[in-house]
Amino acid sequence: MLKAFTLATFYTVVCLFTHTSGCGRKGRSDRKHDGHHGEGKNKHVIGDKAREVLESIDVNSPVIKCFQQYAAELDFKHDKYERIVKLSRDITIESKRIIFLLHTLDRDSKRETVLMEAMVRLTHLVNVQFKAIANELKGEDPYQYMKAYNAGLQEYIEAVTFHHYLTNNSLPSWSKIQGDLTYTDKEVPSEGDGRSIATGEESTVVTCSTGSPDKDGSFETHVSPVDYILGVADLTGELMRKCINNLGSGNLEGCYHTCTFVREIYSGFLSVNCTGFKEISRKLVTLRQSLGKMENACYTIHVRGSEIPKHMLADVINRKQDDFLEEDEGFY
Amino acid sequence: MGELVSEIFTSFQDYLNREQVLREEIRNIVKDIEQTAREILTILQNIHHEGGMKEIPASCQRARALFGSIREGYKKLAEKIMVDQYYRYHDHWRFVTQRSAFLASLVTYLESGHLASRETVAEMMGVEVQRSAGFHLDVEDYLMGLLQLSSEMSRFAVNSVTCGDYSRPLQISRFVAELNAGFRLLNLKNDSLRKRFDALKYDVKKIEEVVYDLTIRGLKPGTSSSNQAGEADMSDKA
Repeated sequence: MLKAFTLATFYTVVCLFTHTSGCGRKGRSDRKHDGHHGEGKNKHVIGDKAREVLESIDVNSPVIKCFQQYAAELDFKHDKYERIVKLSRDITIESKRIIFLLHTLDRDSKRETVLMEAMVRLTHLVNVQFKAIANELKGEDPYQYMKAYNAGLQEYIEAVTFHHYLTNNSLPSWSKIQGDLTYTDKEVPSEGDGRSIATGEESTVVTCSTGSPDKDGSFETHVSPVDYILGVADLTGELMRKCINNLGSGNLEGCYHTCTFVREIYSGFLSVNCTGFKEISRKLVTLRQSLGKMENACYTIHVRGSEIPKHMLADVINRKQDDFLEEDEGFY
Repeated sequence: MGELVSEIFTSFQDYLNREQVLREEIRNIVKDIEQTAREILTILQNIHHEGGMKEIPASCQRARALFGSIREGYKKLAEKIMVDQYYRYHDHWRFVTQRSAFLASLVTYLESGHLASRETVAEMMGVEVQRSAGFHLDVEDYLMGLLQLSSEMSRFAVNSVTCGDYSRPLQISRFVAELNAGFRLLNLKNDSLRKRFDALKYDVKKIEEVVYDLTIRGLKPGTSSSNQAGEADMSDKA
């Protein structure tokens, strides 16, 4: 939109310039232009009237006043949106890295350190980026800005559920995740950078920020249940990779275990009505595929497990899966 | 004159309103049937779970009990639909009918090991077989259900091996091969049924691989050599 605007102004400036300079010079190229100009004297040139109005306009007219206010309101919204998008991108990248970190978990000796580090980084996301988003959303309708951050949120849910699965062998509920992203004002704002930006903006533009704090002083990054479920659907993709990686490290038991877990999730997805949520149905197709891969992997272990050395088993199975692993986002 | 025209449009509006109301009613009934179908599907998913194989008879029983409310749903639906308007509103229940046909044939297979005929499926769903008899099971919907069954069967074959049941894949192989042979007799047009049928060969292939894996490892249970030859022969044809 901005680009279109600058182009338009540029165009008018060029027109004005050619008009004035065309009158001064006498050249072949100007004759055509002069003729055109002459015609213009008799006829009404579109835009002249508008320019007249523009020049004689009163800065204090009510219409202008109104529009100045609208402009401020729009800018406020766009700025907020942009800030949330930036935070969301940071969350996405960091979450992907955490997931990658969690995939390096192949030996028990590494277990503690890896899970610890992942936990620390997840907590950091919660306390900094998500808190900043929560601050931005204070007193706003969260659904107005949902599109700005749901990509990051889903990636975060994927990471946090993955971590939870590795530590507890279970799936954290929606309320647990929402609880993590709910803050109270009493907390000392240890990471103030995101916060100060937000409050600064709110104080400069008073027009539209209602800024009403919640009754009990708590505020949250709203997690919509749909985003939660989509994050869980993404998790199954990671579990599929985990299952295959388990083969490489010879952890056949873990492979079965993960497969069973995903099977339960799949049953869960089948038991809900997803009509009207296209995205969920699409993820369900992928989920079915990854479950198929995992079941095949378990099958191969079972049938050929005794014949092939463990370290080669992974190759045998991987060969079958190559097509699927290709479609990873590739964003580490 | 003007009044006449406006009257025409008023009556047309009434007609539209009536249809709208009817569609709304159909949607609500279909929603209930879909809900039950999902419950049945979830119960029958147990066959893939570890240890679920032993519970197959129990799962089937629970599923059959739920088919009672499916029958009720279709009865309600049949009351709403006038005899010659079945295909006018068909789209509303096409999906759930295919799903129910799939579930009915799955239950039948799990219980008896046989392919459920159109009559059996229709009876389980509480609908008629012939169009002339009223609210019926469209043949394409029935066939679609069978194709869904074949995909489920290929998954079932894989998972039975993982659970240590080596005889089931052989039964499944025979069953799906026969189904495949049956579908080959049909002249399918290039529509959704045809597309779905194209996926059947992958299911057949998958099941054959399972049988092959078991065969070369001597994991096929208690079969004489002649029987084995017959089995291999069958896989070849399919």
